[in-house]
Amino acid sequence: MTTIPSALDDIRVLDVSQGIAGPLCAKLLGDFGADVIKVEPAGGECGRRMPPFFQDDPDPEKSLFFLLVNLNKRGITLNLEKPQGADIFKKLARLADVVVETFPPGYLESLGLDHASLERENPGLVMTSITPFGQSGPYSRYKGEELLAYAMSGIMSISGTTDREPLKHGGFQAQYEAGFNGTMATLFTLLLRDATGAGQHVDVSIQEVVTSTMVANQPFYSWAGGVQGRRRPVGTMFGNVMPCKDGYFVSQAGGGASWDDLAEFYGRQELKDERFADVDQRTVNGQALDAILIEAAKERTMAEMFKTASEQYRMLFGIVQTPADLAHCAQLEAREFYQNVEHPVIGKINVPFRLWNMTEIPARYRRPAPTLGQHNAEVYGRLLGYAEEEVTELREAGVI
Amino acid sequence: MARLPLEGIRVIDSGHVFAVPYAGGLMADLGAEVIKIEGPGRLDITRYSPFSGVHADNQPGTDPWNRTSNFNLINRGKKSLALDLSRAEGREVLKDLIRVSDVFMESFTPRVMRGWGLDYPNMKELKPDIIMVSNTGYGSGPGPYLQYPAQATTQEATHGLAHVTGYRGDLPSKAGQSYVDFLASWACLMAIALALRYRNRSGKGSWIDVGMYQLGCYTISEYILDWLVNNRLGERLGNRHPSYAPQGCYPCAGDDQWCVVSVRDDEEWAALCHLMGKPELTREVRFATNRDRITHHDEIDAIIAQWTRNLAKVEVMERLQGVGVPAGAVFDARDVNLDPHLSSRGFLETVRFPAERRMGKRVIMGRPWRLSKTPLAVQGPGPALGQHNREVLQGILGYSDGRYADLEQAGIIDTRPTQPRPLSHMEMDERVRQGRLAYYEPDFKERLGIQDEPAPAPSDSSPALIGNRHT
Repeated sequence: MTTIPSALDDIRVLDVSQGIAGPLCAKLLGDFGADVIKVEPAGGECGRRMPPFFQDDPDPEKSLFFLLVNLNKRGITLNLEKPQGADIFKKLARLADVVVETFPPGYLESLGLDHASLERENPGLVMTSITPFGQSGPYSRYKGEELLAYAMSGIMSISGTTDREPLKHGGFQAQYEAGFNGTMATLFTLLLRDATGAGQHVDVSIQEVVTSTMVANQPFYSWAGGVQGRRRPVGTMFGNVMPCKDGYFVSQAGGGASWDDLAEFYGRQELKDERFADVDQRTVNGQALDAILIEAAKERTMAEMFKTASEQYRMLFGIVQTPADLAHCAQLEAREFYQNVEHPVIGKINVPFRLWNMTEIPARYRRPAPTLGQHNAEVYGRLLGYAEEEVTELREAGVI
Repeated sequence: MARLPLEGIRVIDSGHVFAVPYAGGLMADLGAEVIKIEGPGRLDITRYSPFSGVHADNQPGTDPWNRTSNFNLINRGKKSLALDLSRAEGREVLKDLIRVSDVFMESFTPRVMRGWGLDYPNMKELKPDIIMVSNTGYGSGPGPYLQYPAQATTQEATHGLAHVTGYRGDLPSKAGQSYVDFLASWACLMAIALALRYRNRSGKGSWIDVGMYQLGCYTISEYILDWLVNNRLGERLGNRHPSYAPQGCYPCAGDDQWCVVSVRDDEEWAALCHLMGKPELTREVRFATNRDRITHHDEIDAIIAQWTRNLAKVEVMERLQGVGVPAGAVFDARDVNLDPHLSSRGFLETVRFPAERRMGKRVIMGRPWRLSKTPLAVQGPGPALGQHNREVLQGILGYSDGRYADLEQAGIIDTRPTQPRPLSHMEMDERVRQGRLAYYEPDFKERLGIQDEPAPAPSDSSPALIGNRHT
């Protein structure tokens, strides 16, 4: 009986994507066993220029964002815009199962490297395209940017307060979300290919990915015509962020706790008043409720409240943790969230890695992110069979 | 018809609310047979609570638990089995079902599953190659927070997102609605696809242990790395970009109408200046480089807002995109439902409910990805409670008429909730008055093309919009 070491050890991925979403999609395939070859232009992809940098040095080998989303890959350089480069890419595509790309729609077609062309080389090839608005439709040629994904998904219209402008999520949530969806769609397409032998083109739209989180909003309109907005600036702090002695917390009704439990936890008997008895009452009397809770939390710390509320009262309770808290979190440690990585330029560093746990085939770390062109000799020589002098010629011709 | 990716896969979905059920709904789209299990005394709270959204046409009707928006969107295409798992006879039925299923999804506490003898080791006894998915707030393994109650809305703070979300220089803020639930949904789907492929190749099942907290933490990884290496704690930037300027959300003509604009380089800056009719700004030394524009961001914001203020948000978007500047109108739920781009891509699907459900047609979101050779579609509406009791127990499990009647008699299966919930109903204009809704449009069905009857002749008055704004 043969031992199967992972879910994807028989899969090879060409990652020509740039930035965050595409590289993350390909990296996750690598975490579960795929051989991922990252294909970059000679100057490196734009992800190498993304902050934060190791010791704030904007060197293309020191982007920490690049490191995060390019673990478990080999890396080569290749100029797709030269005919010889495009030919080499086709050769690679013959040996691959998946191509991940994030170019503007139409770009790969102009180079003869779109799915229809590559499929002639390899009928089982799955190509996953992750773009701001997808491959088709009136916005498909629009330029995208992180902020636009929040605006055009609807999520921004309900974030922030009514007295101010709509507010984006912090960081690059849309990119992470799109990366996850890219991986998922690729995997389901591979399952289908296993059964039918046919590859296909997977079209992931970042706008639609973020819109998919609007499950409580999109159908509210098609069910009853209602449109949610942002919260009012006063009388709405309960359930949102409130201040305490050394930071901020979020407290919610429900979970394993009754409303009376909340009154006990906060030590405020007046919370048991009729005016706070149910959700409707608490909404109408929000300002009074906020004032009582803020006063009650004034002298209490985040750590104490989190522990007491969660362990003693079984309340739904959160505290606003900072990146420093997360970097040293015992819960994350117990879940083996961090992977210690040894990078040739950055050195040893803990990198967020494990998204979930699973028996048999957990995510496995194999190698750090590649330095630019690190595996040219290995891939062009061993995989494609070019002689050393041929590789030199290609380099001199600006192809690799 | 083209073969679907999960054809022939049977999934038992015992999850509640968003994370696990949404994964199940998407699996139904992908061709799986998804059986949703709820207790007749323990309904999914998206059928009745503040998590339910709204009843169709804001009418509770005689079966309000079957009419809510959130439940029906999330649970589309599933079969409903209303089975009392709190009783041993109910769990025996579940065990029979596990024996003939491929995937079992749950979001109970680890203690409950063990108590029922349905933790993974026991599950494997029933079906050796079962794929089991457990979704919990902090994971099913060890860890100090293992027993802590959790919900996406409180975890948003704990997993670090609130710290980096908020207006510049202001308090931390919550971001989306139940944000981490969706990360969990997608994690379940990725892991299930991997586990299915592994099972197909090796014959072995697996147990997938998703903890929402670590998924949320992962999406602020770059801040964690910045802390670990550069001792920087991250800050709230509002709508600004960490590296480029200007970027922001600007007011447009009308009430609560906005457009976002993002300028990444000198070329986009020049295009913006020319479009605004202010070419002289490109020669202004204070705005010459990206660094200068970051320094003078407030001043530039005022100039852009001055220009956008009198234009419709869609016009700002179209004109800026026309000259190669990233810009996007801030869509609300109405705009999303009526967006020509999303419609043209088939992202919005119309689902028809059976006549006896009295819900007509409704528009729901499909999936954010398209396969070139396999058209995917929502396979059917969300099920009525217990709608498929007989189909599952007799059709799939082959129970006799007698056994089925006994289970029905004993209340192990049912088609009505055994514990009626207090009905929370509120008129639409009261919802607007309380700030729960920004506004509502009584003629939404006409706009969406989902009228029950041919549209009546237009009246002279135009009561199309009721609420705090006009378009």
